[in-house]
Amino acid sequence: MSASQQPAMDEGMHHANYHYGHAHLLARYCDLPEPLHPPRLQGYLQHGWNMGDGLAPGTPYVHGSRIFVWSEETRRRSWSQGRRDVIVVGAPFAYLLEMEPEPADAPEPEGTIFYPFHGWEGQQISGDHSRLIDEVKATETGSVTACLYWNEFRMKSVRRIYERAGFRVICHGYRGFWWRDHNRDFLVGQLAELRKHRRVVSNRLCSAVWYGALAGREVAVYGDPMVLDNADPTFGGEPRLRRQWPEVYGNQTDYDACHALARQQLGADELAHPDELRAYLGWPASTERFK
Amino acid sequence: MSDAAALLPTQGTDFAAALAAAPVPNLRRVGGEMFAWSDRDPQRAPALPRGAVLRFLLGQFAGPGRAVLVAGPHADELVAALADSGAAVTWLLRSLADAEEAARTRPDITVLAGAAVKLDPAERFDLVVAVDGVERLNSAEGEQLSAAELIDRLAGAVRPDGVLVLMHDNRLGLHHTVRLEPGGQGRRDATWYAVDEYDTHRPASQEQLTARLADSGLTVGAAYAAFPEPATPTVLVGAGLLGNVSSPVRPRLGTALSQALAAGFRGRPVLSDPRHLANRALLAGAEATIAPAWLVIARAPGEGAAPAIGTHELLIGDVRGTFAYEVAAASESTVRTTVLQPLAEPIERSGLRRISEPVAPGADVGHVLEERLLHLAATDDLRQLRVEMAQYVTWLHEQASDGVLVGPVAVAGLADIFVIEDGPTLLPTRWEPVEPVPLAVAEIRAIWQFAVQLITSGQPHPWPVTSSAVDLTAVLLGMVGLAAADADLRAAVDLHVALEAADFELSLSQQHDRQLELLAVTPGTASVDVAGFRELTEALWRQRYEASHLLAMMEWTEQIIKSRDLQLSKIDWEVQFYRKTWAGRFLWVARSAYRVITRDSRKFLHGRRQRKAAAVDPAALR
Repeated sequence: MSASQQPAMDEGMHHANYHYGHAHLLARYCDLPEPLHPPRLQGYLQHGWNMGDGLAPGTPYVHGSRIFVWSEETRRRSWSQGRRDVIVVGAPFAYLLEMEPEPADAPEPEGTIFYPFHGWEGQQISGDHSRLIDEVKATETGSVTACLYWNEFRMKSVRRIYERAGFRVICHGYRGFWWRDHNRDFLVGQLAELRKHRRVVSNRLCSAVWYGALAGREVAVYGDPMVLDNADPTFGGEPRLRRQWPEVYGNQTDYDACHALARQQLGADELAHPDELRAYLGWPASTERFK
Repeated sequence: MSDAAALLPTQGTDFAAALAAAPVPNLRRVGGEMFAWSDRDPQRAPALPRGAVLRFLLGQFAGPGRAVLVAGPHADELVAALADSGAAVTWLLRSLADAEEAARTRPDITVLAGAAVKLDPAERFDLVVAVDGVERLNSAEGEQLSAAELIDRLAGAVRPDGVLVLMHDNRLGLHHTVRLEPGGQGRRDATWYAVDEYDTHRPASQEQLTARLADSGLTVGAAYAAFPEPATPTVLVGAGLLGNVSSPVRPRLGTALSQALAAGFRGRPVLSDPRHLANRALLAGAEATIAPAWLVIARAPGEGAAPAIGTHELLIGDVRGTFAYEVAAASESTVRTTVLQPLAEPIERSGLRRISEPVAPGADVGHVLEERLLHLAATDDLRQLRVEMAQYVTWLHEQASDGVLVGPVAVAGLADIFVIEDGPTLLPTRWEPVEPVPLAVAEIRAIWQFAVQLITSGQPHPWPVTSSAVDLTAVLLGMVGLAAADADLRAAVDLHVALEAADFELSLSQQHDRQLELLAVTPGTASVDVAGFRELTEALWRQRYEASHLLAMMEWTEQIIKSRDLQLSKIDWEVQFYRKTWAGRFLWVARSAYRVITRDSRKFLHGRRQRKAAAVDPAALR
């Protein structure tokens, strides 16, 4: 079916496409008339960096749908897991950086933004926040901002642990669920915070670390990785992260190596042209032929 | 027996007509001639050998005073060209009816009706032509010679210093490998002996053929691998290029073969598209192994100072007509294209004009754009694909003036583009438009054609298997920031149909059908040129994938409707609550009152501020 034949709806087949304002961001990149209400996206968009097939456990996926993944490596892995129609489009965050390059007169970044590894609505983490805080304080020299996941941010007890440690505690917002309550500017806010800081650290390799590296910040992963209560070991779990991407581990890391890896993992060199992306996502083609 | 003949009584010999026919003095029956038979009937026998390259090669050895034997059925124009050169032509035909017709049509040639075994061994010729091979030299009557014996017999008919031009069918040839012809052996009236795959004496390779001729005292001066079929060779690959993967002419060979095979096998049911096999063989330098036939030119030893047999690296010619040209290496990195035989007369069809002077880039270090894109598509290299597409589109835009393209570039496909260090250039093409073509239409046609090829030939590519040709065209154009308007896409398909109509002389109704077929290339479409069984099963697989996804989608849609209904019901309940219940109404009134109060108080404050300011500066009120 050609793109022009697709019905325009403000809701999509896969609700996770709207997490973090991903679909909205891509609609903005594609220059759609109403980026805050993007049309249905014909497929499943990878919504977080992962070491699996690009899908997320527990998120509905309609068999046979196109899967839009962030990197060529994920595409290969996904294919090996029996997935087909997997298309590399790159991470929405990488598109955001394309649209909003860092201004030359941006204030000098300072301090560290720290992302304690979070669970999500369905999986809680178990681990010792205090020990982690001690380690961060011992390693980081400047001020520290702790960015909590929304459900931890709402738990006063957890928030207070970080506040007492003297950290500035923030949250990027709620990623949304079932087409409701999305923070459409989630990534915009996250990018602004990342740019304020010189270093991005976490106790576990996650999207935020790659985002930081892509945004040109120093990154480091160290400390108690805190395991998920019911973590899925199919793709090797936390030990595999260390083995496969040792470059980002440690208190200090090699900037160039981490940046190059981030470009790879977020598909920053694979970004599609807006017209091409419209064709992939099943969005209407631009009517203007020559730009 | 042919299909029709199997059901209908065979028409007997028309004795009255035979008796009434004037005697033909230039016909001699040598024995073994077949009655009630014709090799000119396509239902009963394979096509007759023809083509511009054969005409060119044979023409080199004919001429006034030369004695020529044409052994077996050949297309009339080949024999006529030999006779017209002034040579004394003798034509051996096993069918009496064919022989009589030939003798009547060409009183200047001697026609022998009968089997090769009955040829007078004492009669020798300066040129023996057997480009039909040896399969039709035996007749149903009398003694049968094996293929090897027939080759010996032909070699024996060559005079000292004379030449034998022989086309020999390759049983390992791709045309046999991809053949899908149920009952083919039993259906053809000419195969009273089935193809014997266990004949150890029949030369089974080019080397064995050369050795067999050498046993008869002949030396092979030139040997070619012939494509796409023995009877219609339009591409001949000769020494220098044959098996030489580092030849500068090599990139040109891929395109030439692909186009020749597409045209040669067009619309014919086959096991698998022969282009895949040919491509693999080319990479291995094994084209001679899978060539449908070998054409050898061998000379008998003699006393005279006969000119050496010239060789050509790559000969390309029309199936019908005279147009043939040569591509050869001029140095280690450059090639030259030379027209050997021009077009007999200008040709114009379907708004296109046949190109009579193929122009090609001199430098040949580079790649054919289509092959490069296929490689990149197979390796999912989106990044490089974008680079190549951008380079191509930029180049094409540079060729245009006022938004239109003129000349061959307007109908050039991606297989006609050769990318050298300086950028893309145009390879020799067959047609150019009479009228200028809008740039957008030309561009979309080339890219759309590539998309059709990707889908219908089951080529691996990085995009969804459920993509239609239009979808892929949109993606490829999108890579360079372009989009195809529906009208342009239609015009592009029309242009493509015009190109095919010119090439294959399609009738108006065929053009109409073709247009409908091409406008609807979806995942379930099998080949649109060569009807390959493998490609058909691939199309079926894609269709099944699409169907299973659609079923999953239906199931999901049901679920999502239920979920949305529930959400809607909850929101509806909320709305009703606000509208109907006292608590809701109170909340609504309270909220409205709050809004009014805040708005009015803001107004009041704003007014008071203005009044105060006016009191200080009365001019402000004016």
